Amino acid sequence: MVRVYLLAIILCFINHVDSKEDCFPPEWLKSVSLSVKISKAGFHRDLQYTVEWSDTDHDVQALLLQKMPSGVYLDEYQLETLRRDTGLEVLLDSKVDLEAPEYLSSGFTALVFLSGAREAVVPVHGRYHRPSDSSERVRVDLERPRLLLRSDQCPGVRGVVVDAPCTVSNHSICSWMEILDLEGDAGLSLELPVGDSSMIFSVCVVTVLTTVLSCVYLLRNIWRHGSF
Amino acid sequence: MDARLCVLLSAAVLIRCVLLCIGVYQDQNLQLKYTDVDYHVFTDASRFITQGQSPYERSTYRYTPLLALLLTPNVLLSAHCGKLLFVGCDLLSALLLFRLLVLRGSSRSSARVYCGLWLFNPLTIGVSTRGNAESLLAVLVLSSLLCLESRRRTSAALLFGLSVHMKIYPVTYALPIALSLTGAPSRGRGLIQNLLRCFNRDLLQFAAVSGSVFLALNLIFYSMYGWEFLQESYLFHLTRRDIRHNFSPYFYMLYVTAEHRWSGVLSLVCFLPQLLLLLLSSLAFRSDLPFCCFIHTAVFVSFNKVCTSQYFLWYLCLLPLVVSRLTLGWRRGLGLLLLWFVGQALWLSPAYYLEFEGWNTFALIWIAGLLFLLINSLILGQIISHYRPADAQLKKTD
Repeated sequence: MVRVYLLAIILCFINHVDSKEDCFPPEWLKSVSLSVKISKAGFHRDLQYTVEWSDTDHDVQALLLQKMPSGVYLDEYQLETLRRDTGLEVLLDSKVDLEAPEYLSSGFTALVFLSGAREAVVPVHGRYHRPSDSSERVRVDLERPRLLLRSDQCPGVRGVVVDAPCTVSNHSICSWMEILDLEGDAGLSLELPVGDSSMIFSVCVVTVLTTVLSCVYLLRNIWRHGSF
Repeated sequence: MDARLCVLLSAAVLIRCVLLCIGVYQDQNLQLKYTDVDYHVFTDASRFITQGQSPYERSTYRYTPLLALLLTPNVLLSAHCGKLLFVGCDLLSALLLFRLLVLRGSSRSSARVYCGLWLFNPLTIGVSTRGNAESLLAVLVLSSLLCLESRRRTSAALLFGLSVHMKIYPVTYALPIALSLTGAPSRGRGLIQNLLRCFNRDLLQFAAVSGSVFLALNLIFYSMYGWEFLQESYLFHLTRRDIRHNFSPYFYMLYVTAEHRWSGVLSLVCFLPQLLLLLLSSLAFRSDLPFCCFIHTAVFVSFNKVCTSQYFLWYLCLLPLVVSRLTLGWRRGLGLLLLWFVGQALWLSPAYYLEFEGWNTFALIWIAGLLFLLINSLILGQIISHYRPADAQLKKTD
């Protein structure tokens, strides 16, 4: 409950703080880059995030805010296992239904923490979509994630400030600096197969006929060989 | 217990131990995990119980709290305790099968062979070592049948009530059990007299005992976990309409019509073949309960709106009891078995390409699902027509 509450109060506002020491000078910010790739095929994909920056004398923590559309979901239990096994740090801003189809789901936001590691592989799963009569597949577009940075050594942050949990344990809120104008690829998309709604009539007729045929065959056998 | 059965069981234990170890290694070192997702669901639910919370805090936990309670050693001792329990149940099922087979007139040597069908079935071994709870149900169903066959009706009723509480599907056995406990109808009497005869002492006692076990357990868990318990462990399964691909012949129809105004009617239509077949087979085979239960489960699973490979275990645990009385030749038997596997392979390959390669194979999966139903019906038809009931067997030995 606390987790959801803390996440729900992520507020975004623009704030200019005058700090004596600038941890993230503009020339250093130019070295920051983010790349996102989708690997694997089908309903189970991997989102591969890589954040890079040039060396600096203070620690830098990164957080990616990835909006997830209703067409995909993350499995919080799988993420928990991955956290134990590989150290992947992901938080979700709301409870995610693991079974509902796309048209009965809503989107959510995933918070991917990159403390230490500058790479993360997040498994994402496709939801079943409404059948279509015009296309064999449906495209699910993912927005480009927002990249936030902070450093424990510099509490004051300049530029666009976003309040978000400090770490994946989600006990406290920190001010993060959003990195805008990142170079690199635009949003990503993945394609998922969908059923063919133009076949609805033939599917129903053939299915019902086959089950009736099987049922009659079995009823006849039971009638012949049973003892009444 | 005879020595040869011991050897058979030891071999079965050995195979399972090896697989349990391989599972531990694979889970720790490979990306593709051996342990089934359900096992983690059970363990998470048990963790909630040990923390004094409801097991239904774990989403997708759709079983009785009793299962999570049974698996608390997973949290308190070692994560492998549950698997050991399931493997234990799987072996116990073989012993129960052996007792039932001997009781039903099989020689000890042939009973051992039929037990082997269960013990060395790759599906049985896989399901219990991967951490699915189906073997628990196999034990409950087989022991209910053993008690009924050996006329220990109170124990049978207790076990039957417990099995229905654990999973809803054995509830369909209630009708053949009731019919087997009532006397045969006689033509000389009227309908009302025949109906009254149905409610004899045995039947009322069985209904009272199993009903009270079922109700008592449900009341306890309802008072502990409320509506969520009823919703997740029963109502979900009754109203379940999974549109994601599965072995059911209805899957694609339910997917493409999910938002159609007829979808409610279609769902009801899907119940009809199940209902007709269950009713007629109860009447036809009431005198041979294990066979009747086998037919019931096979029909229920094959014609169900949702079907996954774990469901096959529900009827496979009864198969050895049926095979022992089949007059099918070896060749035809093996042919049918091969056909069953081919049916699954034909479904599994397009399902793999859909799920992991993203190919649009929905239509192929649908056709494969229908073909699998036809194959299952053919096999069941062959079993029904080549089954030799007990009295025929006795006459032959006389």
